[in-house]
Amino acid sequence: MKNKKILIVDDEENIRILFKEELEDEGYAVDLASNGFEAIEKVKNNSYDLVVLDIKMPGIDGIQTLNEIKKINTNQPVILCSAYGEFRQDFSSWASDAYVVKSADTKELKQTIAKILTQNG
Amino acid sequence: MKTIQLLGEIIEISNSNLEINSRMQAILNIISHRMEFEEVLVFKLDKDKRLTCSYANEKSRLYPIVNKYRCHIGEGVIGTVAQKRVPQYFNHNDIPPRFGCIFFNELDDVMYNYRSFAFIPVSDDSFLYGVLVVISRSMEGIKDNDKILLAIIAREIGGLLKTNDLLINSKKRISELVTLSELGKILTTNLEPQTILKNTVFTIAKALNAVFASINIDWPIPKMECHRFVYGNLNGSLAEIVEDCEKQAIQQKKTITYEYYNDNNDLQVKKIYSLYSSPILTKNKAIGVLTIGFLKPGKNFYQNEDMLYITTTITNYIANGLENILLSTKLKEVIKELNETQKRVIEQEKFKSLGEMMANIAHEIKNPLVVIGGFTKRLAKKVNLSQTENRYANIIVSEVARLESILNDVLNYVKEPPPILDECNINACIEDILYLFTSDGSWEGIKITKDLDPSLPLILCDVQQMKQVFINMILNSFEAMNGKGEITIQTKNIADDENHPQIMISISDTGGGIDPTIIENIFNPFFTTKEKGTGLGLAISNKIVKNIGGRIEIENIVGKGVTFKIYLPVNKNKNNGEV
Repeated sequence: MKNKKILIVDDEENIRILFKEELEDEGYAVDLASNGFEAIEKVKNNSYDLVVLDIKMPGIDGIQTLNEIKKINTNQPVILCSAYGEFRQDFSSWASDAYVVKSADTKELKQTIAKILTQNG
Repeated sequence: MKTIQLLGEIIEISNSNLEINSRMQAILNIISHRMEFEEVLVFKLDKDKRLTCSYANEKSRLYPIVNKYRCHIGEGVIGTVAQKRVPQYFNHNDIPPRFGCIFFNELDDVMYNYRSFAFIPVSDDSFLYGVLVVISRSMEGIKDNDKILLAIIAREIGGLLKTNDLLINSKKRISELVTLSELGKILTTNLEPQTILKNTVFTIAKALNAVFASINIDWPIPKMECHRFVYGNLNGSLAEIVEDCEKQAIQQKKTITYEYYNDNNDLQVKKIYSLYSSPILTKNKAIGVLTIGFLKPGKNFYQNEDMLYITTTITNYIANGLENILLSTKLKEVIKELNETQKRVIEQEKFKSLGEMMANIAHEIKNPLVVIGGFTKRLAKKVNLSQTENRYANIIVSEVARLESILNDVLNYVKEPPPILDECNINACIEDILYLFTSDGSWEGIKITKDLDPSLPLILCDVQQMKQVFINMILNSFEAMNGKGEITIQTKNIADDENHPQIMISISDTGGGIDPTIIENIFNPFFTTKEKGTGLGLAISNKIVKNIGGRIEIENIVGKGVTFKIYLPVNKNKNNGEV
């Protein structure tokens, strides 16, 4: 579980900081990207065990970013993390490995990350 | 001198303003009185080419007998005179047996009283109007002078009858025109169709002096429960007869007449109705029937050709007007409905954009809230806070949680509807899709073979989602074959290894199969071999099938083709539809 490398993608700086600190507390190595393009570049050049992707972002949104990331690496685990609840019903979000509604309580996010990382060894 | 005076009097009466019956009777009385004939009768030729004894001198004894029957042209003495337009005279040696009709047998008892007879055609150069009959007890027969005088008088009577016919006809035409123009006015008003129809039957009944007039509309009129509009009394057995007439009129597509004897009358008075039913035709299709009923004035009232003609004319006249009214009513309703739908759509749109706005605001608030709550938590964890400060931090965290839950409600408010699970006939679903595809010209090169199991049970699923699955599969096959080849679709009712009932849908193509190196990726999202593919088709199909507890298997024969086999569970308990 330790030393797993996670990329957090969110356009809000404070959210990035919050998630980074929370996940580092859990012992993960956390990298940050503030938009979709940056995230795609980082996925191309680095190897992450998991990508946590916000949906509503300027430029390209999380769903498009997800599409691009899966093109680079079909097996790249991705969690969509958004304030929206509605995307759970959207076909496009099915491509992600999990969907978490963004919350001040990071418990659900942490549990989902742990579950996916365990599944993928 | 006497003769001239007689003719002068007759001409004077003939030209007077008196009513026709009075004029005729006065003339016949003068003939009887001055020329000493006991009987002076005029048989009038009616429209139906039969002769009726319509006028007689005041003291006539034969009139009540001969008035009862009518004779045809060519029948008996009167009929022959009418036909040949040549007078006939008889004296005591050759008393005519009966006047022309075998039914005149009552005459036999009275005829011996009379000795001289003259039957003179009442006609002008072109038309016959009737027969003048004069009879006397004189043994001398009809004198030659009288024969000439009677011929002149007959001509004068002919002129009188002719003028009268013309007058009656023109009066009739005028009243017809008035009726039609009244109807025209009614039909072009802006009133409700119900009111227009009520006014129409009222006008028809009043104008034609009918007992009742009824219009039965056979046309769907919005918000109109009653389809029959009646003015006058129409109930009991009469109503049934009218319905019968209407049926016949529609069947024969022409005006029909019917005589109805009402025995069932409390007043013990037999009423005889004469009914005219005429189909209201537009474009050779009946949109209703007009029925007009008259009380017959007496036994001798003959089949009225005029009424038949008038009924038909009126019906033709109102047909177009009615059709326009009915159409415009329907149009108004449709426009109204359209407006309401449009209003509803606008409302929905407003509501939707309001929802979207709410969701946007909620989304924007949510992020800072996550930050506030998240960091408060971290703050409380990191710093050794006193009990009071810890309590404050907890309050912030719990209030943030409360706000978050409110926002989640708002954000979920505009989400997509969940799948609608319903019992679905998969065969019908496939037929629908195939119909859709094969009606497209680009599918000409595809041969489709169907083998659909008719015993296939209903499947609990979202029909639209299921259609999406089949569309994806069939489109894949189509594209794999470049629009040329064979697609075989089979459905089958089977049981799985654990004996659970399920159905199998197989879709095979002849598109050469899938490259084995990529076959395990085909259900992955965004995986595609097509230039313009999204790579979501099969992924979505797989997800839909999995959602209702089914699975998709692939049989791939490289160089030949692919078969997708979709297995779906049969859920017997439809009330327990959550799968």
